[in-house]
Amino acid sequence: MTFVEYKMLNPFQRFAYNFKKFFKNIPSAIGRFFKACGRGIKKFIFGIGKGFKNYGTTFVKGDWATKLSYLIFGVGDLHKGKTYKGILFFLVEVLYALYMIFFGWGWFKDFFTLGTRKTYVTYDEMGFPVNHPGDESMKILLYSTLTIVITAIVFVVYIANIKDAYRHQVMKQNGQKPTTLKQDAQEFLDGKYHITLLSFPVLMIGIFNILPLIFMILIAFTNYSKEHFTLFNWVGLQNFGQLFDVINSNKKATTFIGIAGWTLLWAVVATFSNYILGMVVALMINKKGIKLKSLWRTLFVITIAVPQFVSLLLMNQMLQENGAVNILLGQLFNGGQSMGIKFLTDNVWTARITVMVVNCWVGIPYTILSMSGILMNIPEDLYESARIDGASPVKTFTAITLPYMIFVTTPQLITQFVGNINNFNVIFLLSGGGPTTTEYFGAGKTDILVTWLYNLSMGNEQDYGLASAIGILVFIICATLSLIVYNNSKSMKDEEAFS
Amino acid sequence: MKKVLAILLAGMMTATAFAGCGGSGNASSSGSSNSSGGSSAKASGGKVDEAMFGDETNISLKVWAPDKGVSLAKEQIETFKKMYPNIKFKNIEVVAQGENDAATQLVNDPNKAADVFSFPSDQLNKLDAAKCLSPVSKAFVEDISAVNAEGTVKAATLKDSKTKEEVLYAYPETNDNGYYLVYDKKVVSDDTAKTLEGILKACKDAKKEFVMDCGNGFYSCTFAFTGGAVIDGFEDDGETQKFKEYDENEAVDTLMAFAKLMKEYKGTWKSQDPAQIASGFKNGTLGAGVDGSWNSVADKEALGDNFGATKLPTINVNGKDKQLISMFGYKYLGVNAKTKFPRTAHILAYYLSSEECQQQRAEKIGWGPSNTKVQETDFVKNDVTLQAIAAQSKNAVAQVNIQGTFWQAMGTLGNEMMKDGWKPDDKAATKKLLQTTIADVRDEG
Repeated sequence: MTFVEYKMLNPFQRFAYNFKKFFKNIPSAIGRFFKACGRGIKKFIFGIGKGFKNYGTTFVKGDWATKLSYLIFGVGDLHKGKTYKGILFFLVEVLYALYMIFFGWGWFKDFFTLGTRKTYVTYDEMGFPVNHPGDESMKILLYSTLTIVITAIVFVVYIANIKDAYRHQVMKQNGQKPTTLKQDAQEFLDGKYHITLLSFPVLMIGIFNILPLIFMILIAFTNYSKEHFTLFNWVGLQNFGQLFDVINSNKKATTFIGIAGWTLLWAVVATFSNYILGMVVALMINKKGIKLKSLWRTLFVITIAVPQFVSLLLMNQMLQENGAVNILLGQLFNGGQSMGIKFLTDNVWTARITVMVVNCWVGIPYTILSMSGILMNIPEDLYESARIDGASPVKTFTAITLPYMIFVTTPQLITQFVGNINNFNVIFLLSGGGPTTTEYFGAGKTDILVTWLYNLSMGNEQDYGLASAIGILVFIICATLSLIVYNNSKSMKDEEAFS
Repeated sequence: MKKVLAILLAGMMTATAFAGCGGSGNASSSGSSNSSGGSSAKASGGKVDEAMFGDETNISLKVWAPDKGVSLAKEQIETFKKMYPNIKFKNIEVVAQGENDAATQLVNDPNKAADVFSFPSDQLNKLDAAKCLSPVSKAFVEDISAVNAEGTVKAATLKDSKTKEEVLYAYPETNDNGYYLVYDKKVVSDDTAKTLEGILKACKDAKKEFVMDCGNGFYSCTFAFTGGAVIDGFEDDGETQKFKEYDENEAVDTLMAFAKLMKEYKGTWKSQDPAQIASGFKNGTLGAGVDGSWNSVADKEALGDNFGATKLPTINVNGKDKQLISMFGYKYLGVNAKTKFPRTAHILAYYLSSEECQQQRAEKIGWGPSNTKVQETDFVKNDVTLQAIAAQSKNAVAQVNIQGTFWQAMGTLGNEMMKDGWKPDDKAATKKLLQTTIADVRDEG
């Protein structure tokens, strides 16, 4: 369809056209996504291949000192007169060796079995029990992970050491002198300033985010659960297998698929209901001629001042069988007798719709807040020229306000969508996952993946391996969806559109 | 200068990422005291020979007790210290820790947890699986088995996974962790309180409610238990819940009888958290309820002289009155396997579970004793709630050796029957519900 043809359509046809286009584009978008993933993997493998090649050629071309650097860190640098760096490299090797001898290897050697010795008790001559602690798989896994990460870092240093040795060899052949410590230090405040600035944050993120993350991912491949608490084992993909075992109609698979479907529906409805309703209210408040604008704005924002969990727990109480809502409805329609509607515990769809509606109460104020800011920021001259051209208010809205807002808020929408997939508070505090059902394993009909995960790990089930597997799947779903949507959004493709 | 500032700021930003990781201090009480006291003989009545302490000296221990019991535990520990004037105690502190998550806290970090702690019987398996419990010293087993109620001792006895020996894992503390019927004497007479039908009818006639939590497995397992589907520890694999043999038809008929009452008295029989029972009595909206022993003080206050408590009622199934069977737990004192002073910890736990301490607990904080002598004292015999608990404990299943899958499955059973759309006469559906529930408990889905 050409641009002129498109302009000749009425708004409904345009909407239908765009709607169709969006869904037609989904397969190709997904295709592009996986192609990009493939390219990334290919690049990575080629990178490794190249690394190996360099590793070999450097060895062949290197002199004796460079060759010795393959075994002893820093020899190359020391030989070429770059003393401080050589000593640093050597120190790393010594420290690593000490770490492995006195700590790392002791834990890592059990990494593949995760421990075999059981705890047992004997009794001393007076009859008092004596505890003989056995292996603890948890600690073995934790410290092995630490050892693996440290080994990886040392490997990077090792490669850097070789590269540096070769670089200095080449420099020497060309008659150049290696830089001094002072010069290098200066460089870190100048050309390599970004490294100085970021090394500490990156280190901390590594220790406090990446390391636990690797550890948690590894748990998904074990049978860590209540029954295997002190000693557990690797089970490969068994936890994932249970979740997708539809053929044997495994209860865990039924639960996973049922809950994943509801989670997506919930995320879509919760995100767009908040977005659209919030936008409508923000537009109404910002409309010219509305009096007491700041009062209305403040009133809506006050709901944010009440902590979310407080409003949710209150809502939960109000929606009980004997709660305020039922009593109020009873006063109005039932002659003072409580209606006794079970909003959250009986019918599946009553509960689901209730949860969605209450979520609006919690979510809309935030949308109003950000939308008001954006609305006030739209350049007035755009509207002015539209008025001069004789555009109707509806036209101004669809041609200026809406595109501008969608453009600015797409990243926010994605964040909200992902946030809603993981919206633990609303579900857990409001319905607690109810109504319960015999169809699911450890979950109710309004449970979403995260609350199910919580039930599995903190509740009575305590199946940490399965919970961890679900966590990984949630991450994959969130990451894939956000990447696809973000890469296809206008904010990404046409960054400069409104600046 | 700007660059230095930038580095600092970047550092601070990452520092906020783990600002929440700080530890928190614990309130504690301590103080070593040495004063004269009588010498002791062998292990009986909570006292032991001082030689039993072995070479432990400079002893410091941590004790976990629930909020309500902290001050009493402190007093008891002072007495304990005075009993052994020649032993050097550095510090025995008492820290408040709710029993409901004592096991969780202990398992999370046994090295920082208490040496002696109070916990309910359903956490025994968890503690055992995590190897956090030090079994009762052989020196005390005989005495403990002799003076405490048989059920209490039996429930804490598990098979050692390695030696297949029967081992007593914890020191009995109470015999009261259960629920029973509380009622307003103005609404329900002592006589009508004997049958469930009578109670519901009396409540409905008086336009009052009857509260029993059907969505919580702890209470709703009553439906299955009354029908005969009673749990009986684990199968040989040590994981799967075992049920005693039962007549499925009878179980289904019982469930149908319950569901029929729920339907017939819809609006009267409310499935709510028992925490709301006391306020219901206070507001006058409630006629009767199934409440736990921990709420008895509040219920008594709300009803005053009209407070009635007795064992759970009977239900009429096909013309026969059947007693409701409940879940019943005990509380124990456990010793942390990682304690640095194992002997003192065991001797202290032994003392805290003695007749003397149980008597004090019954009188001061109303905990039902497991010691048979204390059970016979006038004080306990004259206490209505303690008597109701004792009567119900004879019609109850011990809350021990229960699989985690049990609670949710039983809760769902109650919820399904409570639903508006549930048909009490549908025998096939009830049968299917029972079968699904049992399969879920046994994790055979």
